[in-house]
Amino acid sequence: MSAINAAKDKDLHILMDTFISKLKRKQIHGSYNVAIETAQLLVKVVSLTKWTSLEQLISSISLIGKRLVDAQPRAYTCGNVVRRVLALIRDELEDEEKTKGSTTESSNVGSSMFNLLTPAKTDAQNKNKSGINDQRAVIIQSIRDLVDEIRNVDQEIEGMLDDLVHDNETLLTPTPSSQTVLRFLKRARQKRKFKVMVTECFPNDTAVAHNFAKQLAEANIETIIVPDTSVFAVMAGVSKVIVGTRCVFANGGSVTESGVSTVVECAREHRTPVFAVTGLYKLSPCYPFNRESLIEFGNSGKVVKFQENTLVENAETANPLYDYVPPENIDIFITNVGGISPNFIYRIVLDNYKQEDIDL
Amino acid sequence: MSEQKKLSNKELKELKKKEKAARRAAQKEVDGKPPGENPNAPAPSGGDKPQQQQQQQKQKSKKQVSAPSTTQIKKSINKPVKASTVESKVPSAFSHLSTREQRTAKLPLNLLNIIHPKILELSGLCANYSIVGSIARCKAMLEVFKIVIMDYQTPENSMFSRSLTAYLSHQIDYLKNSRPLSVTMGNAIRWMKQEISVLPIDMAELDAKKEMAEKIDIYIKEKIEYTDKMIIKFASTHITENSTILTFGHSKVLEELFLHCYNEQNKKNITIIIIDSRPLFEGKTLLKNLIAKGLKNCKYYVITALSNVLEEIKIDYVFLGAHSMLSNGRLYSRVGTALISMMSYKRDIPILVCCESIKFSERIQLDSVTQNELGDYNNLMDFFTDSPKKKNFALESFIKQKQLESKPSKQQQTQKQKNTQSQKDQNFKLEIPGGDSDESPLKKDISNISNLKILNIMYDLTPAHYINKIITELGALPPSSVPVIIREYKTN
Repeated sequence: MSAINAAKDKDLHILMDTFISKLKRKQIHGSYNVAIETAQLLVKVVSLTKWTSLEQLISSISLIGKRLVDAQPRAYTCGNVVRRVLALIRDELEDEEKTKGSTTESSNVGSSMFNLLTPAKTDAQNKNKSGINDQRAVIIQSIRDLVDEIRNVDQEIEGMLDDLVHDNETLLTPTPSSQTVLRFLKRARQKRKFKVMVTECFPNDTAVAHNFAKQLAEANIETIIVPDTSVFAVMAGVSKVIVGTRCVFANGGSVTESGVSTVVECAREHRTPVFAVTGLYKLSPCYPFNRESLIEFGNSGKVVKFQENTLVENAETANPLYDYVPPENIDIFITNVGGISPNFIYRIVLDNYKQEDIDL
Repeated sequence: MSEQKKLSNKELKELKKKEKAARRAAQKEVDGKPPGENPNAPAPSGGDKPQQQQQQQKQKSKKQVSAPSTTQIKKSINKPVKASTVESKVPSAFSHLSTREQRTAKLPLNLLNIIHPKILELSGLCANYSIVGSIARCKAMLEVFKIVIMDYQTPENSMFSRSLTAYLSHQIDYLKNSRPLSVTMGNAIRWMKQEISVLPIDMAELDAKKEMAEKIDIYIKEKIEYTDKMIIKFASTHITENSTILTFGHSKVLEELFLHCYNEQNKKNITIIIIDSRPLFEGKTLLKNLIAKGLKNCKYYVITALSNVLEEIKIDYVFLGAHSMLSNGRLYSRVGTALISMMSYKRDIPILVCCESIKFSERIQLDSVTQNELGDYNNLMDFFTDSPKKKNFALESFIKQKQLESKPSKQQQTQKQKNTQSQKDQNFKLEIPGGDSDESPLKKDISNISNLKILNIMYDLTPAHYINKIITELGALPPSSVPVIIREYKTN
């Protein structure tokens, strides 16, 4: 029995290590991919780890979550998914306690100091094995539901396009790397005729932006590639700005591609509505207290080529990959559960996460 | 050239009429498309062509202006200008702005014969952005005009001043073909024509030429060189020992200002933050020049990093250069300036514009779309080119025609090329689309994608309320006082 457990533990370690190194090397990138992979990893963790009580599972998963977040703190969706899964398990725990509540009143105290005094083993001993297996199945199923939810985000957002886009308007998107935006626009074209302006996002996503524009043009959308500098000049002719996000924090602030902050501020200055498309899984219960820690920096050789050695030696440069967009510059977040005002994000966050899991 | 004669005014008029007819005929064919492969067609001065023409010109006779024979004109009229089927890539909102192809197509066909080689050269340098910046272009133009005036010979039976003005107008028309004239150039030309018109009639030709050259020299000194010194004197009071200054692109006067503060006023701790943008990367030129002169604290970012830069670095002043100050107080400058100003304004960073009064324009403009300059969209296809290469349209169409003429043999060649290319493709299969390539994935098939447009404008308009102060050689003023300067000083 113990040999099997050891083997399972080893499997788990291998799984974790490969996942972490993939995260670090950015072999898994894009918030969607990170979210899906994390959820699938957690399914394996739940099925492979040995646990006798839900509390034990919670602590081991939050430990894993901490490891993942420490490994790649700016793969925000990874932490989000871990917290969502923890919330699912806690719900399960609550249910369990409710049913147990009829027999023992003390358990209503929940996860308080009282738990420290009562040995966990008594719970475990009460439970028979099939009970745990049932719980395991329930939890795995609910993680799978979460994966389905993440996969269907785009479809559900597309359902709202009737309310967002009208005929003959000009949209501008500063996030050509967002697949959600691409699918949304392509889908919208089936119902409406409109123009799309795409910013180039130099230096990191210029090729992506050109490809994005090409794909839109091939989908019969009139597309205009706009250099990042020309945004102010064209903004007067733009009727709406559509933004993809990497992560949305509880205060309604969001992290997106570098350059977006300038674009949405320009839109705000021109009173152009800005809507961000995002999935529920990108909502984070954290607050962006420290702005610098949110931004990841990339290869500065894309700004000043390393061949230009006099410049490299004598001048300072940086290539931020992300941008923080303050909540006041976004009008509405379009999510798979509907449109949410930035001021209201915190409430939606409360629905999906548990207070205990905010700090992993 | 069989016949050579000097142009009299009458002949010039006739010529003009014919040119107009030719232009109309050509315009019908072209309507905004690149010019055909007429050997007489004005070559848009990319690298080697103007030199050829220069040589031709020199062969003809250095100082004599030769008119083409009537038969030649007829030929050029009859030769249809090939209309290419390539759809314009300019977004519809900007279609009123002329592309270089359109300007070239509109150019009178025989104008080239009376263009001074120096003008051809200048036009080429402007077109490939070797000379960039309104002051630099203006200065270069005036220097060239000095030579042109000295080389000019008055045709018989005409007055020096009158015929020179007409002659210069032709040169200017050609110059406009490379890039639209900057406001500074317009102002300088207006001044020059005025000066030519007041030349005494009885003055000897050589004396008149010398006087003009002298006047141009003085104008350059007064309006540009001394002016810049005054501006630097005023502006440097804002820069203290530990200032952090943000600037965008490359402004000559700002470069001099920073160097003056660093080297002469010994403010060794100033930090210059340069924000740059595609496709010209003018900021890099500024950075290079500053580093070459020993500046230590230079920072260089692209415009997408702007919000992060403003967040992390405390900036004391934003210094901006100008292409032109419009009479409604708005700043017309390199595209991107408006974004920088907006972001800085919202963060309460004072914005100062250094601008010579020669850049003041009576024009008013309310948005960046109505008046602007279109760049070539091909310049946006390479991600890192420091100076985009200017295409030679006439040469290209000539090559195309040659290819069409020798189609059968070429087909085989193209097949061969294809084969080699497919081999190449196989070799480079590892390259990820959208990876670190310096070339746009659209480069090859951009013209085949019908719904795709590319915007490449050169300037934008910064609203007046973002700007705190305009520093000119006449002193500092708020944007609302621009019309005052124009009114008070332009009339004199």
